[in-house]
Amino acid sequence: MSMSSRSVTETEAMVVVRTGRRRRPLNSERPKWHLTAVAIIVVGAYLFPLYWLASTSLKSPEQLFTSPPTWVPFPLEWSNYATAVFENPLMMRALGNSLIISVGATLLTLVLAAPAAYGLARLRLRWTALLMLPFLIAQLLPAINVALPMFTLFSQWGLVNSYVGLILANAVGTLPFAVIVLRPFYLTIPGELEEAAAVDGATRFQAFFRIVLPLVRPGLVTVAVFAFVMAWGEFVFGLTLTTEREMQPVTVTLNSFIGQYGTEWGPLMAASTVVAIPLIIVFVVFQRYITSGLAAGSVKD
Amino acid sequence: MSLDTRTTPRVAGSSPAARGPRRRLHTMNVVSRYSFVLPAVVFLIVFMVYPLVYTVNLSLFDVNAGNFLSGGAPFVGLENYADFIGSPQFVPSLVITLVFTVGSLIFQHAIGFMFALFFNRGFPLSGLLRALMLVVWVMPAVVSASLWRWIFSGSYGLFNAFLGVFGISSTEPWLVNPNTALAAVIIANIWLGIPFHMMLLYAGLQGVPVQLYEAAQIDGASAWQRFWRITVPMMRPVIVIALLLGFVHTFKVFDLIYVMTAGGPAGATNVLSIEVYKLSFEYFRFGDGAAAANILLIIPLLLSILYLWLRRREDSTQ
Repeated sequence: MSMSSRSVTETEAMVVVRTGRRRRPLNSERPKWHLTAVAIIVVGAYLFPLYWLASTSLKSPEQLFTSPPTWVPFPLEWSNYATAVFENPLMMRALGNSLIISVGATLLTLVLAAPAAYGLARLRLRWTALLMLPFLIAQLLPAINVALPMFTLFSQWGLVNSYVGLILANAVGTLPFAVIVLRPFYLTIPGELEEAAAVDGATRFQAFFRIVLPLVRPGLVTVAVFAFVMAWGEFVFGLTLTTEREMQPVTVTLNSFIGQYGTEWGPLMAASTVVAIPLIIVFVVFQRYITSGLAAGSVKD
Repeated sequence: MSLDTRTTPRVAGSSPAARGPRRRLHTMNVVSRYSFVLPAVVFLIVFMVYPLVYTVNLSLFDVNAGNFLSGGAPFVGLENYADFIGSPQFVPSLVITLVFTVGSLIFQHAIGFMFALFFNRGFPLSGLLRALMLVVWVMPAVVSASLWRWIFSGSYGLFNAFLGVFGISSTEPWLVNPNTALAAVIIANIWLGIPFHMMLLYAGLQGVPVQLYEAAQIDGASAWQRFWRITVPMMRPVIVIALLLGFVHTFKVFDLIYVMTAGGPAGATNVLSIEVYKLSFEYFRFGDGAAAANILLIIPLLLSILYLWLRRREDSTQ
């Protein structure tokens, strides 16, 4: 989904931080396995389109155009992946572009958001509210409203068709989110820690880097994961701030692919699956880390 | 830079005479605290605030492909705004955007709420299954859009096969027919938005004290009554924020619709954000595009102000 629905309210982030551990379920003596059965069916139905994505990518044209549909592809048609991705230099290049842009945007987001969220967590309340304002509003902006002036400005600054331009644009999307998610993590750290460090002769910056930052590591990982996911899936900036096919992120290449391949659904779904796979890997690898990270924040509450 | 004031470590043993040094320590802290925030704020001013102000400037000139690099576009005042509002695209586009937004939002929220309530009952593996649903949330919009194009395709599309289960025989190419394209795009967007509402509402449900339900149950309240008399009133702030944010986020959706239909067929899914894109990046009428972009911004902006006001009120009552 667009980065739109990825934004969270600070309230929500706080709720998650505070209630990381599951509450004891209401009046339950025995585990409710019958509910689990219902949940598996319902969640399975909800996720079925994703199965359809993956299974279509492994179908030959004969298996694709059948009525009723072929539910399980057999034999598996791996050639779709070769056609659409591995023997397609433009697609391979676009995957590389997206990797550079997403990693760049993630690093920039961390470098800017980690100190900013800390400062905002330690500021006096009145100024916090005022300073938080641009971060909150930024989350609600339509991407096209930033992309349009950015294109004319970047044209003058020579940043169209450049990784730097795309990294900067992506960070506009991810930074506000990161600051809002990170701030509650800092709020859970008692100010006495830094005061003690100051007594020991540490500067505020030393205290930040050596004492505070390691404590919010779960928050930093969370923010990095979200920034990467948002930047990898970003489409509007990629579409508007590149005019050369060689510089396009993979989302934009996939879109032009749709026009080019029309109804060759096998290769199309193969390309779509490849675009989705890095995020699914990130999701699976960091799922535990995110939840435990969020829960860890609540211990200090 | 102001940072230097802090880099001198306090000399141990120079025990401060009560007030003076403590005051100095305090002011230095304030300066350095701001210096933590400064880089991010400067970044947003240069790459977000300035472009937005620049859009206002653009919208007052007749900027087009011929003059946007060379400069010298003639000043036209508010003409671009008047032109856009007077154009035959404006009213249909606004209506389509509102139908898309409200249609998506009602179902995303209702279904998300059902999932949240269901998961809140607590059963084995509920955490894992809830987490699995978030996979949809991390999917790039372009991937989802290309998947739903396939699902909504004519003779061999999954959606028509699904209708077949209910005895409805259909070979309708949903995205090609102007009468069905908007509904199809809304269905795809509902699917995408469910996890967002589920997450927000699930987190909110954790804040409702269990004792309330236990007391109500002892008093003989039905599940239906417990939902309307306890859950909804207790969840009101969360519901309001989910709907408000959901509205703003859905109102601006671009990528999903652009990839599924590019605003077509025959303008059936031509939401405002797509119209802004077409004006600026297909017709290269940047002045008109900027005016349209600012009009697109007004509704989310008003709602954002409402959102901030609600947040403030919520903060002050805590």
